[in-house]
Amino acid sequence: MSFIAENIRVSYGNREALRGVSFNADPGAFTAIVGPNGSGKSTLLGAMTASLPHTGAVRLNGRDIAAMKPWELASERAVLPQAARLAFPFTVIEVVRLGLQSGTAGDRPEVPMQALSRVGLAHYANRTFQELSGGEAQRVMLARVLAQVWSPVEHGRPRWLLLDEPVSSLDIAHQLQVMEIARTFARAGGGVIAVMHDLNLTALFADRVAVLSEGQRLAFGTPAEVLTDETLSLAYGCELRVCSPPPAGVPYILPHAASA
Amino acid sequence: MAAVTDIDAAPRDRASRARALHWALAAALILVSLASLQVGATDVSLSNLAAKLAQGEALTRMDRVVLWDIRLPRLAMGGLVGAALAVSGAAMQGLFRNPLADPGIVGVGAGAGLGAILAIVLGGLLPPWVNTLTGNQLTPFAAFLGGWGSTLLLYRVATSHGHTSVATMLLAGIALGALAGAVSGILVYIADDTQLRDLTFWGLGSLAGASWAKVLTAGPMILLAPGAALTLGRGLNGLALGEATAAHIGVSVQRLKTIAILAVAAATGAAVAVSGGIGFVGIVVPHLLRLASGPDHRTLLLNSALLGAILLILADVIARVVIAPAELPIGIVTAVLGAPVFLWILLTRRGLADL
Repeated sequence: MSFIAENIRVSYGNREALRGVSFNADPGAFTAIVGPNGSGKSTLLGAMTASLPHTGAVRLNGRDIAAMKPWELASERAVLPQAARLAFPFTVIEVVRLGLQSGTAGDRPEVPMQALSRVGLAHYANRTFQELSGGEAQRVMLARVLAQVWSPVEHGRPRWLLLDEPVSSLDIAHQLQVMEIARTFARAGGGVIAVMHDLNLTALFADRVAVLSEGQRLAFGTPAEVLTDETLSLAYGCELRVCSPPPAGVPYILPHAASA
Repeated sequence: MAAVTDIDAAPRDRASRARALHWALAAALILVSLASLQVGATDVSLSNLAAKLAQGEALTRMDRVVLWDIRLPRLAMGGLVGAALAVSGAAMQGLFRNPLADPGIVGVGAGAGLGAILAIVLGGLLPPWVNTLTGNQLTPFAAFLGGWGSTLLLYRVATSHGHTSVATMLLAGIALGALAGAVSGILVYIADDTQLRDLTFWGLGSLAGASWAKVLTAGPMILLAPGAALTLGRGLNGLALGEATAAHIGVSVQRLKTIAILAVAAATGAAVAVSGGIGFVGIVVPHLLRLASGPDHRTLLLNSALLGAILLILADVIARVVIAPAELPIGIVTAVLGAPVFLWILLTRRGLADL
């Protein structure tokens, strides 16, 4: 019951964006994918959501995703895209209902409002989506995704949240809120896979971290194993120093140490 | 994290308003249908007939011909064409994620126009059996072939590796439209005066030629779009989030695109073939309904079919009445009445129109 990608290769024209990357995530854990721009993070997520042509196998809860129908995939995993786009003036609650209808909680009309409350936007239910700020729109999309896989475990099978840079347009308080939501989902037995830019949030919330660089996996392990001076400096191509503040013992990244 | 108690207002329910609209529009459709049977160039009318029947008089042959052979098929044709154009508009707007798309965007208009012009200008050169084969309906037949053929061509161009790019289709459609326009221009240049007049009137659209034979030939094809569209609502809602997200929430995107494009092409091809160029219905109707009850395609498509039928039947009544016993081309009526109303809505509701 894991999400497994084996030897994934993806090409854009002549450029090979992923060169045989293997990756796996377990339910009950928050698994982060980090790496510099263009390292293949979102491409890997795209292959795992069957939205990009790729070679190599992807298995979701024991089944090859190539053999699954779109609605079967939709009932087991929800995907938060990087940019929140929407044509036509749907209201916020209508957008969240789109998520509900695609999952298996379709018979529970109370779910969309609960999902909106979870992201702190219940009072925006009647607003038109296009009126929202970028950060609000992203949180509404998160509520839609949550409504799709509302129960982290169903019929003994874990369900999955795939998040592509979920905090990219959020202020720091809402970054923490969204990461907390994702972690709660994982603690309840669901699986979370997130493409992350913020290494500090990754260190705070992730259970496992994969570091990609130039289409290959550079490291894969717990934050303490992976977020090291050596690995990060190599991956990002600049000198980084990982530090631990005395009280928490969680690693954090200090860019001040970088020499130009 | 916000508590559940900050729900200060129950979510506004546009869905129930949209469902109420189903019934209101159905009732309105019955009313305009009765009006359409009532009025026309002769003084045969439903109320006269009711009076005659009440007094035990038999219907005259003329009553029967006017009602059964002229007005009823015309009513049926108007309803079918209006429904097909409006639903096709709504479906294309959903597919292209753009409120300005209309059925013409998939190449139907350009292809059908070229087919019709070819038939009108060069039809005389064909051997007589061709005309017999098409039941003396060469122009609509050629228009349908042209519309359907150009859509299949565009669809083929835009599809590679089982994936149809709507953007490519749009661009290819512009190229094909330019080519069709140029060929049409050549034909117009060599056409004689009678043919030019035929071309002009075909372009303006009319339901005047409606007969049961036409209704039965074109009807099933025209019903394809409304029929198929009613199954597309959920998929088009998903598509509003973009193609990738639509797939992520369980929509079979390629299947959706194929059904929408082919059904719309067949239906509008047939509609344009029997009624000529009737513009505007496909853009205005879905837009009005989105303002009234929101963009949810599950209800929007059926409401579009109903309102499209209502508007076209109404426009046909007006076309028949204003300069009776002659009649205006219906395309003029839809544009003269539709355009100012649409402009007014855009002016007063500009904020929403931007979306």
